[in-house]
Amino acid sequence: MLQLDDVSKDFGGLKALSDLTFNVRKGQIKGLIGPNGAGKTTLFNLITGVFPPSRGTIIFLGEEITHHKPEKISRLGVSRTFQQPHLFKSLTVWENVMLGRHYRTQSEFFACGLRLPNAALEEKAIKEKSLEYLSVFGLADKKNQIANKLPLGEQRYLEVARALATEPKLLLLDEPTSGLNDHETELFQDLLFRIREMGVTLLVIEHHMKFIMGLCEEIAVLNFGNKIAEGSPREIQVSPEVITAYLGTEDSLA
Amino acid sequence: MVLLLKDKNKLAWLFITGGVLILPFAFGKGFYLNTMNFIALHAMVAVGLCLLVGYGGQLSISHSAFFAIGAYATAIFCLRYRLSPLVSILLSQGLSALLAWWIGWVVLRLKGHYLAIATLSFTIIVEVLVKEMAWLTGGLQGLSSIPPIAMGGFLIDSDYRFYFVVWPLTMLLFLFSLNLVDSRMGRIFRAIKENEDIARQFGADVKTYKIKLFIVSSVYASIAGSLYAHFVTFISPVTGSIMFAIDIIMVLAFGGFTLLWGAMIGVASLTFLNEYLTIFADYKRTIYGLSLVIIILFFPNGLLLGLRDLSNRIFSSIAWRRKKHASAG
Repeated sequence: MLQLDDVSKDFGGLKALSDLTFNVRKGQIKGLIGPNGAGKTTLFNLITGVFPPSRGTIIFLGEEITHHKPEKISRLGVSRTFQQPHLFKSLTVWENVMLGRHYRTQSEFFACGLRLPNAALEEKAIKEKSLEYLSVFGLADKKNQIANKLPLGEQRYLEVARALATEPKLLLLDEPTSGLNDHETELFQDLLFRIREMGVTLLVIEHHMKFIMGLCEEIAVLNFGNKIAEGSPREIQVSPEVITAYLGTEDSLA
Repeated sequence: MVLLLKDKNKLAWLFITGGVLILPFAFGKGFYLNTMNFIALHAMVAVGLCLLVGYGGQLSISHSAFFAIGAYATAIFCLRYRLSPLVSILLSQGLSALLAWWIGWVVLRLKGHYLAIATLSFTIIVEVLVKEMAWLTGGLQGLSSIPPIAMGGFLIDSDYRFYFVVWPLTMLLFLFSLNLVDSRMGRIFRAIKENEDIARQFGADVKTYKIKLFIVSSVYASIAGSLYAHFVTFISPVTGSIMFAIDIIMVLAFGGFTLLWGAMIGVASLTFLNEYLTIFADYKRTIYGLSLVIIILFFPNGLLLGLRDLSNRIFSSIAWRRKKHASAG
């Protein structure tokens, strides 16, 4: 479903990613791990069109999106969350999710201002649908609160709810459990399985090893912009390259 | 109608509109109607600017220019081309929209102060052109004897009659704004205001959306300008001077940048202050300037909104202290 071929990204002289070939299959929960600065978030930014790669191609559902703008890529069905939740603080919890419905709806400027029958119906549907997504995450009774007044855990839920409201085919989650306690992390895992059952493919960046090993059937490991391993959690755990990247070599101890 | 009554905003709208339309019957004809007419004209401009600044996050100082363009265009169509006032007004809005599209396309790639400066320059250019193109605009002497609006042989030539043209129109434009900000487009504008990059991830075509909002907002000012020309029947370069742009920003600073109702309340309060504090007329600019600086320093969202937030904070801290006190005792 998502295919990256020999993708590189340089920031000036810094190679953030070099010749990365990577793919995500439909219906998968794929993990992406690696030490800090390995290029994981850069990869997300490339996929969502925040900036284009220096070389290489990105293909999503058979369409090349290498140089597409973010708004176009999101319309194709790629949605994401951020390391630090980026909620709109001037909008309520409910409105944040409603925003997720934006490109799944059509009413134009004047139809909205004149509140033509179509626009009014659509608005009603937006409200109902958004409330459904909020209920999935247990946020329905906080719908009229200002979004960034929520505790961090709920902000993360809200961000996922907002991303889901766009009806993505591929959902990118950037460290969804950072700042959550163990109990919340477990709940989050169940939630992600439910999201996959809705037919959404997931690509998850994580540092929380127990969480990612229990969640994904396939994991890719990045280090200094290179993919150093890819495979099942079991394979990753015993891979010498991965152990070296995370723990260092015996030489460096000496 | 059912939809209308469920919503607090719409209920307030219905109430105000009703109240405004009954007013002349309750108090009879009088000079206050003249003041009210100016409130309506200024409210149109302020609401338009509030949409752009408060919801779209684009600070523009070009609304006085579009007011002037609306006024001059309709006057010129009427006087030089002998078109009827209604046709002139409609044509003028088309012209303003075109101009706004072109200006918006050029300047809206700028942000913040740069955008403010660029739109300010546009206002200055319009003012200079109005003064210098005397063959078209009458130069410093302006244009006089602009015919009043005629609707099927019925002349809108008094405060009383104009009242029933300008107020319904103002309230309808206001309703349009209320609807807009509470819709998918309104939400995406607020998102753009906060963070363009993230808004784009939700499918916002930022550039096009901004231009559309700029056009609508400018046409609000232009409609007010056109109506003004036919109401006062005389226009001069003072009509759409930079001072007028500052006045409108002052209105928003007073009522609140991010609240449409604030624009309405701001216009009403400032107009009445202007009318009834004439003893300070000589110092008006000084007072305005000083208050603007103070308001922006202490209440960047606008005075009324700022005071509201402040009182909320005080009340909640009192409530919190009481609770603490109660649980301690």
